[in-house]
Amino acid sequence: MAGKQKLVVVGNGMAGARFVEEVLSLGGQEQYDITVFGEEPYGNYNRILLSGVLAGTHDPKDIFINPLSWYEDNDITLHAGVRVIGIDRKSKTAYGAGGLLVPYDKLVVATGSSPFIPMMDGLYRDDGAFKDGVFPFRTLDECTEMVEYAADVGKATVIGGGLLGLEAARGLMNRGLDVDVVHLTPYIMDQQLDASSGDMLKVLLEDMGVKFHLEKMTTSIQGNGRVTGIGFRDGGSLDCEMLVISAGIRPNIDLARMAGLNIRRGILVNDDLSCRNDRDIYAIGECAEHRNKTYGLVAPLWDQARTLAERLTVEKSTSTYTGSKTSTKLKVMGVELAVAGDKEPMNDEDEVVSYVEPNRGVYKKVIIRDGKVAGAILLGDGFTAPRLLQAFDRGEVLPQNRAELLFPLAADGGPALDVEDMPDDAQVCNCNGVSKGKIIAAVDGGCRSLKAVCDATKAGTGCGSCIPQVQAVLELAADGLVAEDPSEHYYVPAIPMTKPELTAAIRLQGLRSVSAVLDTLAGGKEDAASKMGLASLLKTIWADEYEDERDARFINDRVHANIQRDGTFSVVPRIFGGVTSPDELRRLADVAEKYEAKMVKITGGQRIDLLGIPKTHLPDVWQDLKMPSGHAYTKAFRTCKTCVGTDFCRYGVGDSVKLGIEIEKRFQGVESPHKMKLAASGCPRNCAESTTKDLGVVAIEGGKWEIYIGGAAGSRVRKGDVLCIVDSHDDVLKFMGRFMQYYRENAKYLERTYGFVERVGIEHVRSVLIDDSEGICERLDADIQASVDAYKDPWLEAEIPVHPNQFVSVAAGS
Amino acid sequence: MRDSVYSSKSTYQRRIVALLTEIALEDVGTSTRTHCPYCAFQCGMVVEGAADDPKIRGNAEFPVNKGALCIKGWTAASALNHPERLRSPLMRDADGNLVPVSWDTAMERIVNEFRRTQDDYGADAVGVFGGGSLTNEKSYLMGKFARVALGTANIDYNGRFCMSSAAAASIKAFGIDRGLPFPVADIARAEAILLVGSNASETMPPIMQYFEAQQTNGGRLIVADPRLTATAQRADLHLRLTPGTDAALANGILHILVRDGMIDADYIEAHTEGFAAVRGLVSTYWPERVERITGVSEANLIQAARMLGEARTAMVLTARGTEQQAQGVNNTLSFINIALALGLVGKRNSGYGCLTGQGNGQGGREHGQKADQLPGYRKIDDPAARAHVAAVWGIDPDTLPVPGMSAYELLDSLGQEGGVRSLLVLGSNVVVSAPNAIHVERRLRSLDFLVVSDFFLSETAELADVVLPSAQWAEEAGTMTNLEGRVIMRKKAFEPPPEVRDDMQVICELAERLGKGEYFRYEGAEDVFNELRRASAGGPADYSGISYEKIEANDGVFWPCPDDGHAGTPRMFTEGFATASGRALFHAVQHQQPADPPDSTFPLYLTTGRLLAQYQSGTQTRRVEELVGMAPEATVEVHPTTARVYGLLNGAMARISTRRGDAEFKVRVTANIREDTLFVPFHWGGKGAANRLTNAALDPTSRMPEFKVCGATIEAMD
Repeated sequence: MAGKQKLVVVGNGMAGARFVEEVLSLGGQEQYDITVFGEEPYGNYNRILLSGVLAGTHDPKDIFINPLSWYEDNDITLHAGVRVIGIDRKSKTAYGAGGLLVPYDKLVVATGSSPFIPMMDGLYRDDGAFKDGVFPFRTLDECTEMVEYAADVGKATVIGGGLLGLEAARGLMNRGLDVDVVHLTPYIMDQQLDASSGDMLKVLLEDMGVKFHLEKMTTSIQGNGRVTGIGFRDGGSLDCEMLVISAGIRPNIDLARMAGLNIRRGILVNDDLSCRNDRDIYAIGECAEHRNKTYGLVAPLWDQARTLAERLTVEKSTSTYTGSKTSTKLKVMGVELAVAGDKEPMNDEDEVVSYVEPNRGVYKKVIIRDGKVAGAILLGDGFTAPRLLQAFDRGEVLPQNRAELLFPLAADGGPALDVEDMPDDAQVCNCNGVSKGKIIAAVDGGCRSLKAVCDATKAGTGCGSCIPQVQAVLELAADGLVAEDPSEHYYVPAIPMTKPELTAAIRLQGLRSVSAVLDTLAGGKEDAASKMGLASLLKTIWADEYEDERDARFINDRVHANIQRDGTFSVVPRIFGGVTSPDELRRLADVAEKYEAKMVKITGGQRIDLLGIPKTHLPDVWQDLKMPSGHAYTKAFRTCKTCVGTDFCRYGVGDSVKLGIEIEKRFQGVESPHKMKLAASGCPRNCAESTTKDLGVVAIEGGKWEIYIGGAAGSRVRKGDVLCIVDSHDDVLKFMGRFMQYYRENAKYLERTYGFVERVGIEHVRSVLIDDSEGICERLDADIQASVDAYKDPWLEAEIPVHPNQFVSVAAGS
Repeated sequence: MRDSVYSSKSTYQRRIVALLTEIALEDVGTSTRTHCPYCAFQCGMVVEGAADDPKIRGNAEFPVNKGALCIKGWTAASALNHPERLRSPLMRDADGNLVPVSWDTAMERIVNEFRRTQDDYGADAVGVFGGGSLTNEKSYLMGKFARVALGTANIDYNGRFCMSSAAAASIKAFGIDRGLPFPVADIARAEAILLVGSNASETMPPIMQYFEAQQTNGGRLIVADPRLTATAQRADLHLRLTPGTDAALANGILHILVRDGMIDADYIEAHTEGFAAVRGLVSTYWPERVERITGVSEANLIQAARMLGEARTAMVLTARGTEQQAQGVNNTLSFINIALALGLVGKRNSGYGCLTGQGNGQGGREHGQKADQLPGYRKIDDPAARAHVAAVWGIDPDTLPVPGMSAYELLDSLGQEGGVRSLLVLGSNVVVSAPNAIHVERRLRSLDFLVVSDFFLSETAELADVVLPSAQWAEEAGTMTNLEGRVIMRKKAFEPPPEVRDDMQVICELAERLGKGEYFRYEGAEDVFNELRRASAGGPADYSGISYEKIEANDGVFWPCPDDGHAGTPRMFTEGFATASGRALFHAVQHQQPADPPDSTFPLYLTTGRLLAQYQSGTQTRRVEELVGMAPEATVEVHPTTARVYGLLNGAMARISTRRGDAEFKVRVTANIREDTLFVPFHWGGKGAANRLTNAALDPTSRMPEFKVCGATIEAMD
């Protein structure tokens, strides 16, 4: 490939690999043949996440940035696991271990840094390697070895209470080890923290179980081939089975030194990142020293990588690196610590603003220089940190009131919940931009109901979520003069009548079908929202004289089965009182197999549910079952759950099984404003849970039964009220039927018994149904009897469908 | 089941349904069922009463809005009989004043000018600029007019400023672009939703009923926005990101999803390509780093990832906030990556979608109104597409022009060497809506000839040589395609005023006068639509099975609908993707700085957007009394801390400057915005025009300008 220059990158870590990425993103592969040397035998990974790997929060495979194939795909020659041992600047050649010679036009040194290992007696084995159990914490291999080693030991010590040492300590704790941290100076993270925040951090970590040993210099490692403890210069010692050395880093500059490049702490570079004494060699990353600074954080490395990539690829680039502002966070779960820039003021002009709340572990300190953030320590406040660090990064102009830096003004938030506190210009309805004041004006102008206010102002007619607030403002403004919205009490929206008024009108005019009612009472208005409610009411009123119209039914009622998530149906045959027989079970099993039911399930109501039946198979399923419909799909009497009763149970005082069967046989198919779930329990232990059913009976001593009404154990839980106590099965059936009919006639559509009983009041119900205060008991008994007599098993429609397409599948999406 | 959304709702919500139904069912005389003229939600509405006193109410039977309307919809009729309405063509006289002239005079002038331009500078020197509010039929005719009657390559439209980034991203990832690949009703059933850069509470209020239902059903809503908007206030979690850091946010969330093992490996394996590179990339977006870039706290990032990752059904929805950037396509792709990694796309009640902005933003981008496009969402540089469309049009494929300039590039070329010298603008107010408005106005003024068709004398029309008065929404018939890809009917309720004409009529007559009349003879909108169907047949946006009848019978039809027996496609991607491999594609996307980031001279971020009571360039809404009452003038939202730093008082005037110019706004101090960010709405012209400030840096793929972020500074005015 003539014309291309040779670019050699020594180092495949956070700086080197990033630099190559940046070169590629700028189209640099057109200008250069790129060769990369990496000491580790991998593609490149994100070293920042090693503490996550140690702590077990990151899987090692999730920290790889570019796999080996990426180098190939981008025509980069990668020598993974090959160390560069020399650079001949005269012949412009890099020497790789094993005799590799690679000529270069431009060479980038990105050799990074190595852990600093303090002088300690007994650190090494005879063969020169670390004693077993001693780890520096730098590479992925070391990290995975640590994880393996940690699995078999119980006690670890970390030398070095800096950022990385603390992350290692926390990681090992996550793996169940007891961890001691040994630190040389009087407080931890002394590079980034001041003494007060260092002390507070120590307390936080101690609360998590880390033990600290401050102002301790480790001078010896104990153990024979394998670490068993460490000794301090002051004579003390500490037992441990594992030792992590995290005492800082040293730039890797040996290669540069041998090549004769100018070095001090790191490789000295200019603002274009070239070496002082060789303009064809560059250095970036932790090995580079720029304006007296070496960096150990990722952001500066990446800034350098970007600058150098631009420098080498963009024609006449003037891009320079002028230094980075450094900030970092401690990656220790449960601790919020962010630090940036200087930890202490540099001179008398520097402003220091701080806030300390030791009990909550909160410490905030900002150093302001020339009106800008020069440094910050934020402990225990994760929500202020992002903003403050951005202000630091950007050198933003700061608020004169410095407190606003440490305590940002809270957002105004949503509309006040208490409408009294809202100002008049506060928006109540966002969709239509209606303010509280506008609603008040409408109320003052004579609107006295929710509907009137909404009509007049359009409030609540967009998404509708503000209706509660509109109502509240209305109530506030009308000062007790709120006219009840009459439509609140309409039984269905299309007809302006309450249920009793509507019932009377229907009876008076002899309206027997939904369409007849809509024609006569709603001016012929087609209103889908009203149809189902009307159908239910008409059935209650007319029993078998009701003229059914299919379009007034929900799909479940039209096909007498429950539609499921996936568009198939569930079939629940009636099993009276939950008592079945081997013969019935056999049939159920056969049907389930024949029609490939996706699931066969015992229901909460003591029945068996065949799930996943396609609509077209419903009639066949019913015919084969030869069992009546369990009405699991409609607003009607559902089931009467029973306990074992007197025949078998040692505690039973009433024959709940027999009674349950009688109840179910009598009331099956009785439709009602909402479903009715029943239960019969044979003793006060209440195993059938009768007290939380719409209607329930419990046998008590002396052959008596308590009848409960209005119980619930669904989205709402309510204990039923005792309607009365009776002596016989017949009386149970009588009072239950009477209540049912009363509920059917007076409850709103879709109002469960618990809502109904609460609304009407149990006292009132008792006075009407027991004391016959309104003189209607006899009629109620007769009407429920008519409904019982009118019952037909809807599954008999299997034989003669009501219309030819009743069980035909409709196209998806309709 | 229309009411199924409400199946498990609170009493209040049942009351809303009853209330809306009641209001919507009140007795009516003659009435027309049509749709709102404004946003892409296209609320069904009923227009009734006399032409001089029209009344509007929501159509409770239309399954999208279910009777709900916002204030813009309720008041939409006010524009019909507005005193400022244009009622005859105008032409500039010798003194430079626009004066009424006859249609004949106006048309003759236009044709002469177009001919002269093309004779002197070539066919491409006449340009056409359309809009995303035009019906499908008009959009289609605009494209055909440019290519067949004018023979110019240079046609584009303001949808380029709206939907183009999301569209390009969807095509890259899924092989096809339909804003929402599912009906809006599905929103109510998603357990978690990440809504990025949308203030739907103000820009599309009636859609909020679905988010409301979603939350009532126990679902969680996450909103990412630099402001605590009305929408963000309803969210379970608000991610208050720094403008321009969207891709970092998305990559950061995906990092946590990968780290915590919440991605759907089986789905990724079975249905996607390219995840390995994305996985590597997001390893460099660890939470601490993302916090520093985006300003969103680590805790919130983790919370967002958990909400999405733990949900059984979830959606990722984007809008202009993330799309209107020079990185708009990449930003969108980074959010699509989340949806793919979680295995959401194609799954029930889940997926990725974009909330389209303009009324016909969806249809407007499908029928050839774009520089690079032919009807059916075909590419104009695809020989097969050219052959198909040429056959439908009865022309030689070789006479079809090549791809032309994108919207901003076209405007930037006006009056320039090799650029457009004569321009026809239809349904767009570019002086207000294009970025870098001062420059765009200068370019428009340098044109040899400008003709603008509109209902009012918009800021752009004021610069024109000829202005044509056009019929409004209630005075015309045609189809629109809403944000769901549902093709719906706009119906004519009233005749336009006597000297006002339907744009379709105008286009066809111009074609006639240009000697190409034989290609433009139609019986009406339906006839145009039927030709559009044929032209779209076999393309990605296939309308061939959609008829006016079918739309009427079904409350709209979802494209693609390839034949007469087809019921339409409410849900896409259930069987795979429209890419070459049939798999969805991941894209590894790096976060990049905005093109014009804040610096020491312009230290704040400026972002722009919409208000509830105004719409787009405000040509209509700034003339509706109720709306002006609610939003009378251009304002700038400033954080109280920032207001103090810059010496701004609530209610006083302030001047914002950017590298492109300055503009003046009334200060609104609110803590609901980031300290480093200013927000201005873009509905006003003149000195209050937000786009005097915005940057025209374009996305390399979609050519979307960077409306949503640039460096700015602000000062108090005396």
